[in-house]
Amino acid sequence: MQIDFDRICFRYPNSAGDLFNDLSLRIAAPGFHALFGPSGVGKTTLARMLTGAVAGFSGAIRTEGVRQVFYTYNLERLPGWSSVREHFAETTPAANRTRLEELIAAFGIEACVGARFNRLSMGQQNRTNLVRYLLQDFDVLIMDESLANVDELTREKIILKIKALFPERCFLYISHNVAEVARFCSQILILRGVSKAPQVVCVQGTDLAQGAVPPPERLERAMLEIVHAA
Amino acid sequence: MLLRRIYQFFIIYLLGIALLFALKYTLRLSDYVIPSPDEIWRTGRDYAGPYLLAVLNTLAVAILGHLLSICLATAVAVLGRLTAWVGSFIRTAAYNIQAYPIVAVAPIIFILLGDGLASRLLIAAMICYFPLLLSFIGIFSEPVSDIEHFYESTRRMTWRLQVKIRAFENIHKLTTVIVGSATMAMVGTIVAEFIAATAGIGYSIRIALYQSDLAKILVALFLIGIGTSLYLVGLERAGNALQKRLKSI
Repeated sequence: MQIDFDRICFRYPNSAGDLFNDLSLRIAAPGFHALFGPSGVGKTTLARMLTGAVAGFSGAIRTEGVRQVFYTYNLERLPGWSSVREHFAETTPAANRTRLEELIAAFGIEACVGARFNRLSMGQQNRTNLVRYLLQDFDVLIMDESLANVDELTREKIILKIKALFPERCFLYISHNVAEVARFCSQILILRGVSKAPQVVCVQGTDLAQGAVPPPERLERAMLEIVHAA
Repeated sequence: MLLRRIYQFFIIYLLGIALLFALKYTLRLSDYVIPSPDEIWRTGRDYAGPYLLAVLNTLAVAILGHLLSICLATAVAVLGRLTAWVGSFIRTAAYNIQAYPIVAVAPIIFILLGDGLASRLLIAAMICYFPLLLSFIGIFSEPVSDIEHFYESTRRMTWRLQVKIRAFENIHKLTTVIVGSATMAMVGTIVAEFIAATAGIGYSIRIALYQSDLAKILVALFLIGIGTSLYLVGLERAGNALQKRLKSI
């Protein structure tokens, strides 16, 4: 699996300046990667370019071994006319049904699947939404602050579970949490303002797996590199 | 809810009557122009029965016309939500046609269809149709991105699901618009009965008008107010029950 953004230039219509100027980056392998950077730098736009939702840019996006890309964000909702479990039943492909209970348990939402989405807390809503995407057939899943309302400990458990369950898939995790991306992500793509060159800097994270403890010096170095690059 | 509506109507009605009597006694108008309270009471006692039947007749046609326009507005708005030229054409046509006073078209319907139920129904439906259509088009054309995104991404979105999502998310707005247009349906039916009917309370008012009998008109207005209030309350209750049912666990 490989994803290449090659010399991307883009400006939103009626915008004063470019958002991307000659931006290039490569995601070379599956795994849990991060897209990091300050607000407004273009992380969501870049992610949506990969899904095909944003057009009108110059340059090219080339993929190998990628058939299905999904983009999910933390404000998504499920329709309110039936329970979360009924929605899962309707939207889960038959082949992935075996994973449903495992994900529900791992994400700690057993107690709320019988309720309607609008009755859940924001953290439960984030987890519920992510579960339904994980049950789809995808090669790349972009998680745009998808766990923003989930507490740190639960978030850690969820990320480690995702990494353990889907090692062959590619995740692009958009977050503003330096420690989190440094600990859990493999490739951290730091997106910077258009005035900086290169516009994207890649830092290697510690790519923590379930049960492992990262060497403190590696984690510290990764965090320093991220802060320095941003 | 019912009592509140009835109270509101009584206050407005009594204020109107008080104004008439104030005019009558200030300007010393004769009973022929504005009848005395006693005459209004007697007319009410004599005509309440037949006028009540006429109001029920009108209300039945108004409800039928209202239902017809809701169905039609839903169908057209579902087409109007399309991003293709069909949707664009329907939206533009709806915005332009609604600017035209539909009541002015009523005589054409009378000429083409003559007296009777068909004319009353059509005029009633037309008068409440366009306000409904504009609101429905607005509601069904507005994407609910937070919900629709998943279905679009996973290619599960169908037109039925899209309409269901938008209707569910805007159920409160839809109910308000439907309740609001119910008065228009009643107005439309009465207008139709003025010009193209031999039944209904509009027809009775027309006869009273020819007789210059204001007492009969005041009795008719009282019963129309009560009838319309009951219909509006019925719709509000149905809308609230539906919302409650949809949003409860």
